[in-house]
Amino acid sequence: MAPLEDLERDYPIIDSNFRMFCASHGIFTDTDFLMHDLSALEAFARQDYAPQKLEHGIKQILSIIESGQRPWLNGLELLEDSQLNKCTLSTGCESIDILLQGGLRAGHVTELVGPSCSGKTQVCLKAASHVARNSLGKVVYFDTGNSFSPKRVAQFLSFSPDPSTTQLNKTVERDMSSIVCHSVFDIFTLLDMLRQLRNNLRSQISFQMRMLIIDSLSSLIAPVLGGGGVHGHALMATAGLLLKEIAHESNLCVVVTNHMVAGEAGMLKPALGESWKSIPHVRLLLSGKYSANGTRIKILKHPYLASGKSTDFVVI
Amino acid sequence: MDVSSLPISPSHRGKLISAGYSSLSSLSSLSPSRLALDLKISENEAVEILKVASGRSGQDKIESGSRAIVNGAQTAWDMLHEEESSKCITTSCSNLDEILGGGIHCKEVTEIGGVPGIGKTQLGIQLAVNVQIPAEYGGLAGKAVYIDTEGSFMVERVLQIAEACAQDMLEYNTLLRRDLVDKQPKSFLDNIFYFRVCTYTEQIAVINYLEKFLSEHKDVGVKVVIVDSITFHFRQDFEDMALRTRLLSGMALKVMKLAKKFNLAVVLLNQVTTKFVEGSFQLTLALGDSWAHATTNRIILYWNGNERRAFIDKSPSLPSASSPYTVTGRGIRNSTSNCKRVKLM
Repeated sequence: MAPLEDLERDYPIIDSNFRMFCASHGIFTDTDFLMHDLSALEAFARQDYAPQKLEHGIKQILSIIESGQRPWLNGLELLEDSQLNKCTLSTGCESIDILLQGGLRAGHVTELVGPSCSGKTQVCLKAASHVARNSLGKVVYFDTGNSFSPKRVAQFLSFSPDPSTTQLNKTVERDMSSIVCHSVFDIFTLLDMLRQLRNNLRSQISFQMRMLIIDSLSSLIAPVLGGGGVHGHALMATAGLLLKEIAHESNLCVVVTNHMVAGEAGMLKPALGESWKSIPHVRLLLSGKYSANGTRIKILKHPYLASGKSTDFVVI
Repeated sequence: MDVSSLPISPSHRGKLISAGYSSLSSLSSLSPSRLALDLKISENEAVEILKVASGRSGQDKIESGSRAIVNGAQTAWDMLHEEESSKCITTSCSNLDEILGGGIHCKEVTEIGGVPGIGKTQLGIQLAVNVQIPAEYGGLAGKAVYIDTEGSFMVERVLQIAEACAQDMLEYNTLLRRDLVDKQPKSFLDNIFYFRVCTYTEQIAVINYLEKFLSEHKDVGVKVVIVDSITFHFRQDFEDMALRTRLLSGMALKVMKLAKKFNLAVVLLNQVTTKFVEGSFQLTLALGDSWAHATTNRIILYWNGNERRAFIDKSPSLPSASSPYTVTGRGIRNSTSNCKRVKLM
């Protein structure tokens, strides 16, 4: 909802005369413009002393509004887009890949939810190192609990401090340089960084970014959620929508982690509540303590796979 | 961009929206006095709001010079080198140091919990002394901040542990035949900043104040912040559980930020409670499931017969392992060997 004054900078036709004309009809922002009866406005414009300029101005504002919309797509275009751009990235764990029929899909927001120590961070680190090792692109890791462990990533990439393996270490250096980690400690900073990321990706500077991991989103939202105000829910929804927008526009896999809280009858349920449930595309539940024998992962929600399917996996 | 995503207080946000300022661009060319008049707030508050808004709106523009995807991010390779060159705080028990990968790491928040009497406060005091070990002996030569909520900090015990540490350093002097720095036990006490808190609001206030304290004393070199214990004031008569969860998660994030920003280790001591799991009562750490996610590492101290043991419950890079330790007159030491010498390097 931009006031008309701001548009003058980029579109000089919306000058003060035009704005005075609009103001006389109670139009101050582009939203007011849409809510007004456009044919009546055009009729008034024709009766004015400079009809051409006013009609140009009206057309300009309409085109600005339309360019901000998402384009209409039909099913065939969506299918083409999905086949060309939305590929699947392996998670690095074979059993999870088999469960998800390929792995994490670009354009999807995947949520990993599980109790403490169930292996969520390990799965995220493994997926990040897999993308790095196969030089598929860059990974951006937003870390809220200082749990990004470069040592563990190096282990996954089979780094050895032995100086004789300098060739191996050079490839590890190249791989690890494609994983970028940033610490985030509050939801507002996260929203800023997501917007910055979206703008940078839109301006098509070639980043070749493939994966965005936020570990964990729930610890950022927990301090603001609840307490009688809806502001926390609004921030959570804004973050979710930004993530989905970034995932779809730039063909990224977005992975977020969530924790569990006590529900009814002593059973654990995912945190962030009912309104969060509809936001991620794919929800995966990790249950039980992470051990060398394996942890169970179950599909809670998926656009095209049956929910309830589960498998055991182990992250070596 | 919306005004609702600005980090300002809810009352200011409500006033802004009801006065018609719903987007950042409407605040861009506004004078503070005009805003103060419209919202009926003081001019200082209006200046604050405009400062926050202008800081945010500048980030919408793409900086053509920067090539980074996200400003201020680090690559994993740089972080690996930083981690390799950073030192850990030794616990004076070599078995414990081994399972911890060298000791308590900086830039991480470690939670240590156990039943009463297992040695949590002793471990906290040992860490507050060990962080001051000079660099020549492999230590961090830093200072400690000790936030005491239970009142279990005994200065005489700290002096005892400090004397033992100084004695061990002198022994190393003779071993290495070097004439290194001779630290007086009393100087150990000088470098521990002690805060005593009596309510949960004081606890939150101290954590908030720590950021200011640490940035003012940046040259002082605080390397560890120990909170003994975080649970005490949150367990007694807290009526609103949802509020407790919010306060605790907010506190966890602040403490994480301190650890990362000032490159120090944060050690939080926790108590235990029982949980009914799979048909039996088990001991787990207090403060619930949501707190369990808030820390980077978790160590559980427990009794095994007559022996004290420590178990790594949660860590992003260390495997689960447990090791024995004892609490002696000289502090925390290895349990099996009778040797009085502690491994400092």
